[in-house]
Amino acid sequence: MAVALLLLLPVAAAGQSNTADLLDRAARHHADLDVERELVILRRVISPNSPFVVTHEQRVLAYKYLGAALVVLGHADSGIVYFRAALERDPFVDLEPQRFTPAELAAFGQAKRLTFGLGVRAIAFDTIDPRTERIDFTVLSTHAAELRVELRAAGEAAGTLLYIGHNDGPRELQWNGLLGDGRLAGSGRYALVVTGFSRLTERADSVQLYFTIQQDHATLDDTLPALRPDELLPEQHPPGIARAELFKGIGVATAAMLIPPVLANGELRGGGRTLAVGIAGTATIAGVVGFVYRRRHREIPANVAANAQRRAERATINAAIAARNRERLDQRRLIIAPAAGVGP
Amino acid sequence: MTRRLAAALCGTLALLAVPVRLAGQFSFHGRGTIGRAEHRVLDAGASVVSSGTLLGGALGFVGGEWEVWAEVMGGRLAAADSPAMEDREIAEVALLASVRVRPWLRLRGGPWVRSYFNTLARQRWTMLRFGAEARVPLAVESVRVVLRGDWMPIANVSGLQRPEIAFAAGVGLEWRRKRIGVSTLYTLERYDFPANAGGRRLEEFAALQIRTSVRWR
Repeated sequence: MAVALLLLLPVAAAGQSNTADLLDRAARHHADLDVERELVILRRVISPNSPFVVTHEQRVLAYKYLGAALVVLGHADSGIVYFRAALERDPFVDLEPQRFTPAELAAFGQAKRLTFGLGVRAIAFDTIDPRTERIDFTVLSTHAAELRVELRAAGEAAGTLLYIGHNDGPRELQWNGLLGDGRLAGSGRYALVVTGFSRLTERADSVQLYFTIQQDHATLDDTLPALRPDELLPEQHPPGIARAELFKGIGVATAAMLIPPVLANGELRGGGRTLAVGIAGTATIAGVVGFVYRRRHREIPANVAANAQRRAERATINAAIAARNRERLDQRRLIIAPAAGVGP
Repeated sequence: MTRRLAAALCGTLALLAVPVRLAGQFSFHGRGTIGRAEHRVLDAGASVVSSGTLLGGALGFVGGEWEVWAEVMGGRLAAADSPAMEDREIAEVALLASVRVRPWLRLRGGPWVRSYFNTLARQRWTMLRFGAEARVPLAVESVRVVLRGDWMPIANVSGLQRPEIAFAAGVGLEWRRKRIGVSTLYTLERYDFPANAGGRRLEEFAALQIRTSVRWR
């Protein structure tokens, strides 16, 4: 089996080269006005019984030369039929004025008027800087038509309008990479949708070109994560702090009242009890004031300020990182590549 | 004795000056004091209670963890229960140094001289005291509880033997901002002298002081 495949490969390649040789020979015969031989060769090429592989482009070329040969032989109507067959397969097909006669060109023009087709030239791999460069698209209508060219993200119903209006023949369009909202197109798959309505035949046609865009920029820095609870100081005293303050005041008052009976000599019957009452009263009041104050103000101002400072420092660093990232994004480039269809 | 005390004073001052200078950052403080004092004496079965108002002032140097304060205080003590007794004057000078060993705890010590006198006699007390002072914050950050205890290992009293027991205790509240501070302090000093000829002299000095301090550098 493998051997058979290996043997078939060169045969297929040879077939392709034979078709190309036949087309070369036909072109030479056409230049020599030897259209009889030319017709024989071209009919072999387009015949379903052709032993050679015929590509799409080769078939279009064969139809083009067939049309021209028939026009030379005086069969303009038949020539036009083949020209239309070529145009239907590839609207971009054209006759070079220096290689074809005015009669052939006239017949080809007639074929274009009778055939309505839209085309988009395939896009190549490219990388552009959207600040200074543009993406080029070439669209075409075979004859006068109202044309609408729109760029859509794959799967979207609406998109960015690139052109709307009258058109006849090929048209170059440039796209700066911006979508309708003024933002740079993000990475993803896009479609260039061309729709048109013939002014001559009153027929409509459409064609789509799919491609991908990949934004290319320097690696972005991560911003600092939000401060974790363990990275912040407690901003409030625990709920029991008010009671603790009251107990402190009462404790001081108790200590003052205990000094005379405990530390003073009992024989003196003194110890400045009256004076101790004074300080005990003051301490009790201080404890009560502390209790009330802490019930209403549990915050720790120093810690609140320290946390605010940490948050501000983090915000400053993140703002700098965001600014650096914005600069990098501003310098991003778009990598364009052809794609097949809406998605994989 | 006076020479020895003077030498001890100079030595203490010299030792205390070194850390203050080394600390680099230091500040000067002033303090005014007004207080009510009560002095009780029991000797040979007779008890005398006198009381009066005291006025005083102090200058302080604060450098790093160290503080050095020079204090003076004086006033008149009247014996309300013994009108026949002549009023006495009291005057005292103290030099106290302290070092912060914990954010809330200071160790302190220094010499202290006190005189009771009237037109008839003068009694001088010369002491060296060591102690500790705790300052615990209350609800408002600038208000603190003050707890104080001192021991006087050397206490010489003219005309009397050295007391067997000599200590002081105090409790109070302090409110201090950057430049000014107000505090109130209750203190009790107890002196128990050894028995002599069947009698025993006991003395006690209690005071309630209100103090205002200012920092000017």
